[in-house]
Amino acid sequence: MQTTGREPAAAQAVATHELTRTFGPVTALSRLDVTMPRGVVGLVGANGAGKSTLIKILLGLLRPTSGRAEVLGLDCGTDGPAIRRLVGYMPESECLPPDVSATELVVHLARMSGLPAEVARERTADTLRHVGLHEERYRPIGGYSTGMKQRVKLAQALVHDPRLVLLDEPTNGLDPAGRDEMLGLIQRISTDFGISVLVTSHLLGELERIADHLVVIDGGVLQRSTSTADATRLSGVILVEVTDRADELVARLRAIGARVAEGGGQSFTVEPTDDAVLDAVQGGAADLGVGLVRMQRRRHHLTEMFREQEVTDVRR
Amino acid sequence: MNPVVMSLTLRGLLGRRRSVLLVLLPLLLVGLAGLVRWASGADPAQTVPLVDGLGLGTLLPLTCLLIGTGVIGSEIDDGSIVYLLAKPVARRTILLSKLVVAWGAALVFAVLPTVLAVEVAGDEGARLALGVGVTAALAALAYVAIFVALSVVTRNAVILGLLYALLWESVLGGYVPGVRDVSVRQWALAAGERTLGGDAGPWGVTSDVALPAALVLLGVVTVGAVVLGVRRLQTLRLTPAE
Amino acid sequence: MSGVEPIGAPVPPGDPGPAGDVIHDLGFRHYDGPRLGRGWVVRSLLVETVRGVFGLGRPARSKIMPWVLIGILLAPPLVLALSVLLTRSRELPLSYTAYPVAMQLVVTLFVAGAAPYCVSRDLRHGVMPLYLSRPMTRADYVLAKVAGLSLALFAVLASAETLLLVGALLAKLPVGDQLGGWAGGLVTAAVLSVLLAVIGLVVAAVTPRRGLGVAAIITGLVVITGVAQLLTAIASERGYDALASYLPVLDPYRLVDALAVRVLGVGAADGMTYPAGVGGALVLAAILAAVVAGGLALLVRRYRKGGGL
Repeated sequence: MQTTGREPAAAQAVATHELTRTFGPVTALSRLDVTMPRGVVGLVGANGAGKSTLIKILLGLLRPTSGRAEVLGLDCGTDGPAIRRLVGYMPESECLPPDVSATELVVHLARMSGLPAEVARERTADTLRHVGLHEERYRPIGGYSTGMKQRVKLAQALVHDPRLVLLDEPTNGLDPAGRDEMLGLIQRISTDFGISVLVTSHLLGELERIADHLVVIDGGVLQRSTSTADATRLSGVILVEVTDRADELVARLRAIGARVAEGGGQSFTVEPTDDAVLDAVQGGAADLGVGLVRMQRRRHHLTEMFREQEVTDVRR
Repeated sequence: MNPVVMSLTLRGLLGRRRSVLLVLLPLLLVGLAGLVRWASGADPAQTVPLVDGLGLGTLLPLTCLLIGTGVIGSEIDDGSIVYLLAKPVARRTILLSKLVVAWGAALVFAVLPTVLAVEVAGDEGARLALGVGVTAALAALAYVAIFVALSVVTRNAVILGLLYALLWESVLGGYVPGVRDVSVRQWALAAGERTLGGDAGPWGVTSDVALPAALVLLGVVTVGAVVLGVRRLQTLRLTPAE
Repeated sequence: MSGVEPIGAPVPPGDPGPAGDVIHDLGFRHYDGPRLGRGWVVRSLLVETVRGVFGLGRPARSKIMPWVLIGILLAPPLVLALSVLLTRSRELPLSYTAYPVAMQLVVTLFVAGAAPYCVSRDLRHGVMPLYLSRPMTRADYVLAKVAGLSLALFAVLASAETLLLVGALLAKLPVGDQLGGWAGGLVTAAVLSVLLAVIGLVVAAVTPRRGLGVAAIITGLVVITGVAQLLTAIASERGYDALASYLPVLDPYRLVDALAVRVLGVGAADGMTYPAGVGGALVLAAILAAVVAGGLALLVRRYRKGGGL
């Protein structure tokens, strides 16, 4: 059974529809309805949130209790092997045998993905170069640092030229420099290599940097699915800081009907519903004879999503 | 002796899989002893092949191997020995504490079942049991010490111990005369032979080694193993597995 | 960290880079060639397994045990041939089917060293997710491992059998008889290889800790041989002859030998008595099939539960 050429591109990398998976009384995923576009998608979720169950279902290793999931247009329930031919997986856990070299391992795994022997060797050499492993690729993996091991794991996920890679906590255990390099590499995978990426992480800051789209899951239920641009867009709020008499300026702004939130000290935020508000800020500061330290548009941060959730949780 | 180390070791030894085997092997021996009794009509002379061959030759050293490697081998293998070594307890104390637990476990799981098997299979007034008991106790003493020392010295203690117990003691000991002189089992049998006195011959509990020499050799080997074990633990280098 | 360049570093001079891509120096080449199916994958894993059993592609120290054991196994045939020459007998002192039974300790040691290498390492280091996320199933993995180990074992046993044949022919024994015996020996070697491979892999798969699998296999096989002998002796002592004919079969080597006696009509190793007649042969075959099938099922189940993905 051989296939040649690339399958027709699917619009979505991953699409699930009412995806549910239960293990007896425990519900791991509950009616998950999400579409993830091509590019870099960040999957956020605490352990136990259903992340690994979702990955197993996407790889076709687990049947959903109900609902459907599709990866690159193929059905996860029926086309498991076809999916695994097109997908690469980088596990979070320790998964490397210590007594073989990176080259040997990746060549072996490339063959396990269906690549002919010669092709496996060539692509292994290329891929190891791309992930940044050079002379050390011939030494046994047991002596590698965490950064090198993560690179090996990434290489084995890329070597067979997948259409989509699933990266499970790729920056785990890396020092800040290693983290940066890994994130850069992930971006390159998407933009330069043209491979879609699904990244899981606990670190929102990282995902902010590299993800085009974000999916938040908690308790097996979808919390958010949004493009990063939307989530971190320029918020409709201006941060104002003055040298003195902020309270008076706030009062003036409130007098003209602007919505002001005090920020402590001599700073506050105001919603610029129209230009009149902005003029009022500058004029008011001039009238009061105080210096305007800054007027700055604020961006949203991803952590706000979670703070909102916390607040709603607390209210509940 | 450090009681905490001892209790930790004991708990580790009796955890799940290993303890299943520790119980299974003696049960097997006693079960077979029952069958032998049924077949031979409680004749002590028939008991000896079972007890000497399968019991002293195979199951006793195997159980001692399981215990000896169990008290320290797995800890060294997965590196958790570090926690113990980092405590303000002398390494000699650590090893001796573990050794004491191992000897106690060997008594319960190896020596006593062997004696019980003798009784079940057929004995005359517990005399054979006494002789076998002496043999088993001395052999277990030496075996455990050897295997504990082996576990500290090398990562492959289980395989080497197995090759020793099965190949050297059982198989080669049966065919190659020279080997019998350098065999814990033979030394221990010498003591058993003396204990049985006149019954030893007819019952087939004999040894090629004279008693004084046997006892000396047993002592030397046991003490030597303990010393080796302590020394090695004191200079233990933890390397990653494999 | 020498040797690890930051990502995005320019291609070192002298590296031609992939052909034709002018925009990116380090362009990732896509692969549009054939992707071979499960047959190729299983075959690859099988070959890898066989090579590993013989220590090929591994450091020198892992070659010692298997090859020493192979040497021990292959030495006696020539000695036997010599003894035939010297005693001018009309047949080999040890028949083709009796040879593996006589050398069972060596064969057991070989299996005990090989089986853990095949499966315990993957389990111990959690490598299974890397396999399972590829276009192969757990059953494929198990099949490749069992077939690989069986093949390796068969290669060794068949070599011994063939050496026996060579020796016998050199000792001028009748060709027809010897060829027949040799063929029978190969068949029993094949069956024995599969049986031992399955048993060995099941034990190794449940004892992934270093060294434990080896010990467990050796212990298990040696103890069961001893126990089977003892039980047989007891049963025949008490006159339960029918039972005494079945008890030896607890020992896998004897199970295969018994089948050889019934099916091929050869003499039993060590003059054992085995279950008689067609009924006996059927029971033996059923036992063999049950053990192999059960072992395979256990293996697949083991990977389903503890595979890590």
